[in-house]
Amino acid sequence: MKTLTIEASKYTPEIEMNAENNILSIKGKSYPENTFDFYAPVMAWLQEYFAQEDLPKVTLNMDIIYFNSSSSKLFFDLFDLLEEAHEKGKEICINWYYDDENESAEEAGEDFKEDFEGMDFNIIKK
Amino acid sequence: MSLSQNTLIEELQNFMDNDMERFQSLGKKIIKDFKRQQRIMEQSDRRQRQEYDQLQEKLLEVEALNHEIEETQKEVVFTMGAIGESRSKETGNHVKRVAGYSKILALAYGMGEAEAEMLKQASPMHDIGKVAIPDAVLNKPGKLNEAEYIIMEQHAQLGYEMLKHSKRPLLLAASTVAYEHHEKYDGTGYPRGIKGENIHIYGRITAIADVFDALGSDRVYKKAWGDERIFDLLRAESGKHFDPELVDLFFDNAEEIISVREAYRDIFE
Repeated sequence: MKTLTIEASKYTPEIEMNAENNILSIKGKSYPENTFDFYAPVMAWLQEYFAQEDLPKVTLNMDIIYFNSSSSKLFFDLFDLLEEAHEKGKEICINWYYDDENESAEEAGEDFKEDFEGMDFNIIKK
Repeated sequence: MSLSQNTLIEELQNFMDNDMERFQSLGKKIIKDFKRQQRIMEQSDRRQRQEYDQLQEKLLEVEALNHEIEETQKEVVFTMGAIGESRSKETGNHVKRVAGYSKILALAYGMGEAEAEMLKQASPMHDIGKVAIPDAVLNKPGKLNEAEYIIMEQHAQLGYEMLKHSKRPLLLAASTVAYEHHEKYDGTGYPRGIKGENIHIYGRITAIADVFDALGSDRVYKKAWGDERIFDLLRAESGKHFDPELVDLFFDNAEEIISVREAYRDIFE
């Protein structure tokens, strides 16, 4: 599968869905004008990716310094997708990074973690 | 609406023709989604409040800093003006009065409040070039000879040179004032001998403000003139030394101008 790369913009994060090293990362700010359109290729990529058999361990690194409410909703959907794959036996690790001074990023991470108890979900201070 | 909500609705419609088991799992999903929406809302409310608080705080800081900058600028500019005046044994009140008259004339001329205020702040620097004039010339009792007069006149050019490199509108205004406040409307002034509207309005205003105040004050070489004598001179010099429009505006606003003079009267022991 081809790696998906999206460059960061003023309102959107830098995204790399790397099919070779199986590290997925979303890094930066996320408040696009139309969040669901923006992330549509990412969600489509993930669906195709997790449809593969015999995937090794997958790591998702999220380092989001600022995001809007619809991004928050989108992240729930994204974690749902991962959870589904996890339930089908895929090994998945989620790392949620936050800056020490960014209280709301930490709180949001805790919020997500709470909703996905069965997953390997780590909140990591940078 | 989000992708997952669309899917939910689609599945819900499908379910209507189908079985109970799917209804239950869908129901669970929907409940989960509602709860999430609630949490997203709470999360975002919390963040909004934080952000707004921070914004307010920063705004107050910026306002305080702005105020500080403006006050500092005023003080520096005023002090520079006072330095220029102190070297020539003028009083600090002279620059305050000239500043006051300049603003009154600027407003009467039709200048906006912000620009008139800027001219008020810039005009005290009209003689800043005097800091570079030797004491022997600057404070010579009695009349200057021709050579000394030429040196003395350099203060306009010198003041301009000191300030012209600034990028600040206030200091640039001050450079214009310093440069042109000894120009005369009929072109017989210095340093360039420019005439009429070619003299910047800042220069024309400061010229009349400065002369009016100087004539009404005691100086090393003369006693203060009485008001009628000053007024006669302003009328006589209308269109010669001074812009005739400004002379008219001076008399239209004489009362206010004199009240500024009273407010900043020099007190001698």
